[in-house]
Amino acid sequence: MKQIFLVLKREYLTRVKKKSFLVATLLIPLIFPALIFGIIYLGTRESGDIKELHVLDESGYFTDKFTDDSYSYEFVEGTLDEAIAGVQEAGVYGLLHIPELNLADTSTTRYDNIGFYSETNPGPQVQGRFEGAIRKVLEDVKLQQSGLNAQVIESLKARVSLNTFNFSDSGEAKESDSGLSFGVGYVFGFLIYMFIFIYGSQIMQSVLDEKTSRIVEVIVSSVRPFQLMMGKVLGVGSVGFTQLLIWITLMVTLTTVGFNVLGPSGEMMASGMSPEAMELSGTEAQVVEVQNMLGTIPVAKIVISFLFYFIGAYLLYGALYAAVGSAVDSLQDAQQFMLPIMLPIIVSIIALMFVIQDPHSNMAVWLSMIPFTSPIVMMGRLPFGVPTWQLIVSMILLIGGFIGTIWIAGRIYRIGILMYGVKVNWKTLKVWFTMKV
Amino acid sequence: MTNVNILEANHVSKSYAAHKALDDVSITIPKQSIFGLLGPNGAGKTTLIRIINQIIMADQGEILINGEKLKPEHIRIIGYLPEERGLYKKMKVGEQLMYLAQLKGLSKSEAKKRIKHWLDKLGLYEWAGKKVEDLSKGMAQKIQFIATVMHEPDLLILDEPFSGFDPVNANLIKDEIFELREKGSTVIFSTHRMESVEQLCDDIAMINKSQKILDGTKKDIKNSYKSHKYQVDYKGALGPLSSQFSVLDTTTVEDDYSQAVIQTQKGQNPNELLSELITKTEVHGFMEIIPSINDIFITIVEEGKS
Repeated sequence: MKQIFLVLKREYLTRVKKKSFLVATLLIPLIFPALIFGIIYLGTRESGDIKELHVLDESGYFTDKFTDDSYSYEFVEGTLDEAIAGVQEAGVYGLLHIPELNLADTSTTRYDNIGFYSETNPGPQVQGRFEGAIRKVLEDVKLQQSGLNAQVIESLKARVSLNTFNFSDSGEAKESDSGLSFGVGYVFGFLIYMFIFIYGSQIMQSVLDEKTSRIVEVIVSSVRPFQLMMGKVLGVGSVGFTQLLIWITLMVTLTTVGFNVLGPSGEMMASGMSPEAMELSGTEAQVVEVQNMLGTIPVAKIVISFLFYFIGAYLLYGALYAAVGSAVDSLQDAQQFMLPIMLPIIVSIIALMFVIQDPHSNMAVWLSMIPFTSPIVMMGRLPFGVPTWQLIVSMILLIGGFIGTIWIAGRIYRIGILMYGVKVNWKTLKVWFTMKV
Repeated sequence: MTNVNILEANHVSKSYAAHKALDDVSITIPKQSIFGLLGPNGAGKTTLIRIINQIIMADQGEILINGEKLKPEHIRIIGYLPEERGLYKKMKVGEQLMYLAQLKGLSKSEAKKRIKHWLDKLGLYEWAGKKVEDLSKGMAQKIQFIATVMHEPDLLILDEPFSGFDPVNANLIKDEIFELREKGSTVIFSTHRMESVEQLCDDIAMINKSQKILDGTKKDIKNSYKSHKYQVDYKGALGPLSSQFSVLDTTTVEDDYSQAVIQTQKGQNPNELLSELITKTEVHGFMEIIPSINDIFITIVEEGKS
């Protein structure tokens, strides 16, 4: 144990003392949200500027009916060919062509001769948007033609928003928020994904460095190979854990400060502010709502499970990365063994996108049980509420999983670190695995 | 009973998959000796050393250290300089030595003292705060040596110690090794370059194709492989010798100086040959031809083949 600790300490200190660790630890929490918000911002605002469109409306139903402010609409006249030529001449984004429509004919509800002409394919989102806008106009016209007045039409519509409740084992129902669960699940799942990749390859690099610098035989004359491997895996893992703790501390501090600035919290109430001053503005109301919603997802359960799955996933994959590092002489040689390790991780992160949309599907349940995918997938499911028995089975399987991979990795590692210039393939690994030491 | 042998290997065998690396090898290493473990590359020397260092385990047989079966605590009394050796390039010299010393079980304060002692001794003290990658190759080799010996091992195992060491360092390290031996350490040299350790070793074991083919003290081995040949340098002609001596070879060195190799009979006194030679030629040099360890090795391998 003392030997493992000495190895762990060296791995930990040499990494934490590096400047790059400090820089990465402080910058990533700033860069990542900035990137994500940037993408979301660009995605929702599209390109930002207003695009010009020509509309050739032969039906006459659409004049001044488009209210979308992402586009400016200019209604043109003439034939379709002239209109297309006009679009090209004016250099505008595209042309919406609505031919003569016979809305009085109630036997048909299908209008498929409406066209959108542009230089580039607008993509499904823009297409859907115009389809929706046109449908709405046509529906309104048809409803009016059926003899109903505007008031009746309005009263015939129904707007639904589904409130979701989770009941606990005691039968008590709590209001929940799918959107928040969705976000929390995704962020935690993605964190595990990122850590496996970053710290897994650090283990591999570290094993490889010891091998290429030829120090490994000196070390294993003092330490059992298994102790060296475990010390390394745990040492690099502690670095990741430290980084995580710093991030959590930063996040908690920032949000606390944020809440204090933005809206009411316990401290502000206690500091004797008058009730009038507490009147909620729009943003304050949202903040309170988020605070309330946070109460509906099982925060403690998620945080504890996250730490468990984080450690479990790290040990499971970390050991495999160590085995690969020991087997090869250079990073290039490692490629052939990387794919089978990365595959389940990539499958997990892709599955996560579907899992957070349907957290109780068969696929989600199964993937949250298999140790190779469970850490990421289960994090996606947890905010939606997972039956306790499933969580326990999944955790037990993960423990079994990482014990298994550590055992396998240890057997390959002890041989691999002493082998130089050997052409390694899957068959060699099998031979090493079964070899007596 | 005090043990006279620091290490005994009894009938040690080891196989890697289909390849037999060691086949029933037994060696005995007396305390405070310098022991040569000799044999060509791939003979099984490193396998035996790794078994002694508990890096791998023997399939059969046992290793005794000071009469005790090999156990984890023994790694503390062994210092091992492997053939494949290196240091952490990005780590500072002092920190690196501290780490390696602690792995060998030294306390922090004790390690600190010894690191200072050794760095001073080899003139590297001002480099303690430098990274290994900033050191010259020769300096790094000295650091490696310090790492091997600073826990004052009773048994020092050096695998191909002089390959990669420059001549100056090699000599320095030879001196240090003799000093350690004086203080009570036992040294095992493992090498395929037999001539490099010939004059250093007291005892020798030869391994070829995973089997031990010869062992004993260097003196005994050399005596038993003596071929009773003499090398004679002479001036002028060499007259015919009596039938108990046969001239195997003559070469002209320069002008009228020549050299001859003469075979005598076993048990004959060299004076007999010398007194006869004096009557036949003008003797300038007379020397018994003693086979080198390398010659003996080749002789045994050749014998084994026929």
